[in-house]
Amino acid sequence: MSAIETTGLTKYYGDTRAVADLDLTVREGEVFGFLGPNGAGKTTTIRTLLGFLSPTDGSATVLGRDATDEAELIEAKRHIGYLPSDPGFDDGVTGRRLIRYHAELKGDERSAELLEQFDPPVEREIGEYSRGNKQKLAIVLAFMHDPDLVVMDEPTSGLDPLMQDRFYEFVRGERDRGKTMFFSSHILSEVRKVCDRVGIIRDGSLVALEGVEELLDRSGKRVRVSVEGALDADDFDLAGVGDLELRDGDASFVFTGEYDDLLGHLQGYSIRDLEIEEAPLEDVFMQFYGGTDSPAVSARAEAAGESRGDVGETAAESQEGDGDA
Amino acid sequence: MLEIVRYEAERRITGSLVLSVLLAAMSLLFVALFPSITTSGADLDAYMESLPPAMRAAFGASGAFSITTIEGFLAVELYQFFWLLMLGIYLAYQAGGLIAGDVERDRMDVLLAAPVSRRRVVVEKFLSLVPGVLALNLVVGAVVYVTVAAIGESIAIADLAMVHLLSIPYLLACGGIGLLLSVAVSDSDIAKRGGLGAIFGLFLLDTVSQSADIGWLGAMSPTRYYDPTGVLVGGEYDLAGAAILLAMTAALVAVSAWWFRRRDV
Repeated sequence: MSAIETTGLTKYYGDTRAVADLDLTVREGEVFGFLGPNGAGKTTTIRTLLGFLSPTDGSATVLGRDATDEAELIEAKRHIGYLPSDPGFDDGVTGRRLIRYHAELKGDERSAELLEQFDPPVEREIGEYSRGNKQKLAIVLAFMHDPDLVVMDEPTSGLDPLMQDRFYEFVRGERDRGKTMFFSSHILSEVRKVCDRVGIIRDGSLVALEGVEELLDRSGKRVRVSVEGALDADDFDLAGVGDLELRDGDASFVFTGEYDDLLGHLQGYSIRDLEIEEAPLEDVFMQFYGGTDSPAVSARAEAAGESRGDVGETAAESQEGDGDA
Repeated sequence: MLEIVRYEAERRITGSLVLSVLLAAMSLLFVALFPSITTSGADLDAYMESLPPAMRAAFGASGAFSITTIEGFLAVELYQFFWLLMLGIYLAYQAGGLIAGDVERDRMDVLLAAPVSRRRVVVEKFLSLVPGVLALNLVVGAVVYVTVAAIGESIAIADLAMVHLLSIPYLLACGGIGLLLSVAVSDSDIAKRGGLGAIFGLFLLDTVSQSADIGWLGAMSPTRYYDPTGVLVGGEYDLAGAAILLAMTAALVAVSAWWFRRRDV
């Protein structure tokens, strides 16, 4: 049995298409990354899987039960956790009271242990919580009944980098315990840290589905190098260099080859500055999925080639989490 | 079962108690004023008589009775206005936020991620209004009885108890109207204000239709089935009216639950 399965799942809001003919299978025991820029349809897909929205067409099952049948879905939800990106809570209750409430609704196997790892100030009223503390409380609520499947919608937004790392480690641990996780994100670097397989969604459709290693091999790095003296295009006649931009001694390109080759090659220069970072998600799209996709996408690719600052909100946001490269 | 009721009622109870105390303080003030009104010499009954019929209906003074008796005074000053109109509006306003407020602030997602049915959410959220309604009636009823005794007047305790008891189905029906709006629209402000406007509109419809000889139109309004003046002054308990109000409430909650099951959250 697959943990999640959708067949031709489609959702329109009036005339606006949010999800189109989505076929997706999440296997039991894997961390499935659901990657896509903002507005691609990730949240709509998740909210349809959880029965908050009813699909316009197609079908979906979670833990083998029909997501459009309320009674079946309720049975499934006993074993499902949900971690939204910006959870809504009542301001006037304490974290402790809310945990007790959810314990009454769905059971409590491990809230004490979770509170040790993620320590929201449970004695205080939620109205006083910071965004990060709300997110920590949401983590406790999502995992407290020890669910088999946890659906997460950009779960690390609002967490500081240290807490993000703790969360990634926690997710890997849960996977090792045999849990299935559906991890929606627009940040490639976090998906690579925790996910086994990745589905990429764009404009409501799945454009790629592959193992995270393959995706990373293909997506490459964004390299910026600055050297003494001038550079020209011949200086980077190297396997795996693409999207090259040059200005005097500065070069910027996407690199999909071997690090050793690149560093060996660069030894011939006197380097003033060198930056290697995860390619922003938009770049990955442009390189592998966007080029033949639509005129709008290639236009954006050109804009990005001219000025790195104009790639738009998604690329800018995805860079935030890319400091590890 | 009833976990949602308990949680929601707990969150609301402080507000209900504060309101109870305020209304109790106000009724205390009204009752304390009563002796000076009866001795002032002003002919209030003649004043009431001089009002247009629709206005008198709005004050519940359509029958022949005197507001210089403690029963008539309480009926007109306290129950007809504060219980029938203001509390009715308050319940509809409060109920307007029950569902729409959670949907608007994404709290509904967190709740519905738990294994609970939408019908249960609607029914239990509605039931969470009940403790507040009971608290209001108990506190204010007790305070009115004690202060009436304190000024040396007396009031039939059965009538006073019934005016409060019969207000419960009425207030719940008002809450049902707010609940339906809360399910129908996603903006909680609109649902709350809609509830407020609906009760006020129905109250007007009832009073105007009585004097304009289109009484059947006012039969839609819950205000038709709760008559505090009739209870206090005439000792008439409209039990059939209470049954109609309870049926109305059940129907409103059932339709709300049905609607909420079908819609996107």
